[in-house]
Amino acid sequence: MSEYFVIGLDIGSATAKAVLLDNEGKRLAFAVRPTGGRLVQSAEDVKREVLLQTGVSDDCVKAIITTGYGRDIIQNKTKSITEITCHAKGAYVMMPEIRFVIDIGGQDSKAILLESDGQVGRFEMNDKCAAGTGRFLEVMARTLGIHLDEMGDMAVRSEKSSKISSTCTVFAESEVISLLAQGEEIPSVVSGLCRAIAERVQALVSRVGVVPPVMMTGGVAKNKGVVNWLSKTLRQELIVPEEPQIIGALGASIIGLELIKRSKGSLDKIIQNI
Amino acid sequence: MSLNVRELMKPFMEVQDDLYCFAKRAKQAGEKIAGYLCTYSPQELFHAGGYFPVRVIGKEGGTPLADQWLQPYACSFAKGVLNLGLEGDFSFLDLVVFSHTCDTMQNLAEAWRRRVEGAPVIVVSTPNLNAGDIALNYLKRELARVKEEVENISGSKITDEKILESIHLYEKHRNNMKILYQIRRESPYLISGTDMFLVVLSSFVMKKEEHNELLEKLIRDLKSITPEDVKKPRVLVGGSVCQAQGFIQSIEGTGAVVSDDDLCMGSRSYVIPPVPQGEPIEMLAQMYLSRIPCPAFYKPGYDPAQVYIEKVKSGDVNGVIFLQTKFCDPYAFNYPYIRKRLEQEGIPSLLLEVEQNQPVPEAFRTRVEAFVETLMNR
Repeated sequence: MSEYFVIGLDIGSATAKAVLLDNEGKRLAFAVRPTGGRLVQSAEDVKREVLLQTGVSDDCVKAIITTGYGRDIIQNKTKSITEITCHAKGAYVMMPEIRFVIDIGGQDSKAILLESDGQVGRFEMNDKCAAGTGRFLEVMARTLGIHLDEMGDMAVRSEKSSKISSTCTVFAESEVISLLAQGEEIPSVVSGLCRAIAERVQALVSRVGVVPPVMMTGGVAKNKGVVNWLSKTLRQELIVPEEPQIIGALGASIIGLELIKRSKGSLDKIIQNI
Repeated sequence: MSLNVRELMKPFMEVQDDLYCFAKRAKQAGEKIAGYLCTYSPQELFHAGGYFPVRVIGKEGGTPLADQWLQPYACSFAKGVLNLGLEGDFSFLDLVVFSHTCDTMQNLAEAWRRRVEGAPVIVVSTPNLNAGDIALNYLKRELARVKEEVENISGSKITDEKILESIHLYEKHRNNMKILYQIRRESPYLISGTDMFLVVLSSFVMKKEEHNELLEKLIRDLKSITPEDVKKPRVLVGGSVCQAQGFIQSIEGTGAVVSDDDLCMGSRSYVIPPVPQGEPIEMLAQMYLSRIPCPAFYKPGYDPAQVYIEKVKSGDVNGVIFLQTKFCDPYAFNYPYIRKRLEQEGIPSLLLEVEQNQPVPEAFRTRVEAFVETLMNR
């Protein structure tokens, strides 16, 4: 049994994520749950879940680092860190050669350039509205009467891709309805929607200036349609980790471990254990 | 020690509740108030003409009345002040002064003239080219014309002696503000940037005579305080924001200190070379043309990026935050060049697009916090 544990909590607009690490930096458990309107409760839920999964008791948790929109509202945290720094850190420990992270979450998208030592160089976030984010896909899935999870495969399989020109979620919704009224097939529309997100994010990425290798994180990275279109528009291969949603929470937990170990150890050993 | 600084700030804090409390009190006492929308308005002339000049600024809130008269691409500053004007918030003004800087300001003057009842409107036309004899002669003639217009409205002559008195008063005030800027550069932890911008804000709505006294006391008192022994990343804030205080407060809430600025309602109004003695109108024209130019103006030989680089180097600044008011194209056109030069110098920067009449959004804070995290990790 480890001496102590750390937890990274990423309270996003759509989902809450928790990652539990041991003192060697080994990932023991993670949990993902919808946030709904209850930020504090969902954070508590995912935290409980990782503790239950591993049988670790509360007292053995030496640091809790919070990130995401709800980062400041969580009580009993060691520190809160922005999701930009956490996603960069998470991606870096997954793959130290990563130089660029594209994170598309529930209501924002970020393009982050990493220095060779894993520190954040430059970054850009989407402007005020939620165009080009997970929320956009959620709204469209509802409009089309399909599941969010089936959109990716549907887009990849479709040979046709409808042209969606509006970047505003509300306008794009009416555009989708007109396309359906004109007899467009749903998969073609879904593919077009994925491309619309990719084009929106491409602008963000270009403002920072992409440097390969590129990792894509956040819930939208689970949508193959968006990943394919983004890869095409950026002319870059995108590395998608197995659990793209938890990279922010992972980064947060690593930062917690670093805080504890700052005086003693280096990051190298932690990276090997991930 | 923090208690001391809070005490020192008290006299300036009155403006937080009502920005125009001093002007309204003076009005009740029978004085005339001139509201100006741009710092290129020759405040000295209005002061010499017996007016108490205050800067017209908006406040937080929607702009439903102004939206009827201004296009969506007009900036939040223009909409904010027009909305207050239409609501009657500026009914205490006896004179409203506009300058021709950007097109929005020019057209705002006409919208105001037609839609806002009350005080007469004067438009001052500052030449876009801010250097050379042609510009100087043009501005001299323009200032002489404005002087006449003020005389006609008020019904009393403005003598050269009066103008000189006002010039000296305003110069003394600028010198005091310059000393304060120097103190901030040397020990940025003495007072916060948030407090500094409270002083700046009050300087635009208080009488210079009174503000001078407060400044002189503040400078004396600050010199007797030992600054806190802390190390925070130093940030320079530049951009096209008039009321920066809320943004500065949000930036400092993330653990940085705003130690310097390149803002109109900030160093650009105060850090100006001394005016050579001469005929009063000429002195005024020289002074306004010697300012670091407004982004709407052009001055041969002036390099906007160089100003930032020098401020960063001489003030040990760690990063630059640009506060770009949405739809402010004069500053937006300067930005890419400044950012490129800062990059070449290895100076980190962050661009944030802002609306001046809205509360500081959450996404603003997240970006600033992430930027400050990168500065701390460097």
